[in-house]
Amino acid sequence: MSQTLESPVEELQQLADQPWVTIVWNDPVNLMTYVSYVFRSYFGHSREEAERLMLLVHHEGRAVVASGGREEMERHVEAMHDFGLWATLAKEGP
Amino acid sequence: MIPFTRDGQVVTARLVPGESAMLASLAGQLIEMLEERAAESPTDLLLAQLGIGGASAPPLDPALARLLPDAYRGDDTAASEHRQLTELGLVDRKVANARAVIESLEGGTLVTLDPAGVQSWLRHLTDLRLVLAARLQIEDDGDEGTGDDRMLDLYDWLGYLQGTLVECLE
Repeated sequence: MSQTLESPVEELQQLADQPWVTIVWNDPVNLMTYVSYVFRSYFGHSREEAERLMLLVHHEGRAVVASGGREEMERHVEAMHDFGLWATLAKEGP
Repeated sequence: MIPFTRDGQVVTARLVPGESAMLASLAGQLIEMLEERAAESPTDLLLAQLGIGGASAPPLDPALARLLPDAYRGDDTAASEHRQLTELGLVDRKVANARAVIESLEGGTLVTLDPAGVQSWLRHLTDLRLVLAARLQIEDDGDEGTGDDRMLDLYDWLGYLQGTLVECLE
């Protein structure tokens, strides 16, 4: 649900904080070429960046693919679920 | 089968009749699974019209659970709230992709896809593979799957088909 921001200062603060991340998790089903294609076509990543993230998912089991406001990350996660990728969002940091 | 190739914006593949019928049947089964799930949701009519008011807990069936995963890990409350707001929409879009695939199989064995059709096929082939993988207990990288040989072949074939589709978009 959208929140009403009280002032432009708060809005700037919220942008500066960017405390949420979208995480894509490894799965044994999705083709590496497909995951890379999704990162390029949906997030607009370069081929190199998409490959790097895809390999990170594959080898490390997960990768942060985007960061920003909570609502934006929720939209990204939904889009990843549309593609059949396994994604979650979380607050950044420990 | 002649796998996917691209000419400009148009992507085509030629399936043999058995393949085409199999794919349409799988798509139909997926629609059934998803619609059953949506029908179980404790839905208020007004919320349903808004596309929200979905279930609050993940599906018990591992295949459905993989199609409709939690958006939050380790936070059941947030996952549940998010699911209620988004699951029906996700189900609708997956059903729409399956229907688009069925429709593109109705013109005979030559499958011709425009860019929207390509997107439906990419997502739907993924959804089918996720369901089959759950049934075959493919859970970690390297798992070869256990169960029916025909289902294993089908899983591999869908992967091959999807691979050629992704490749021709490069």
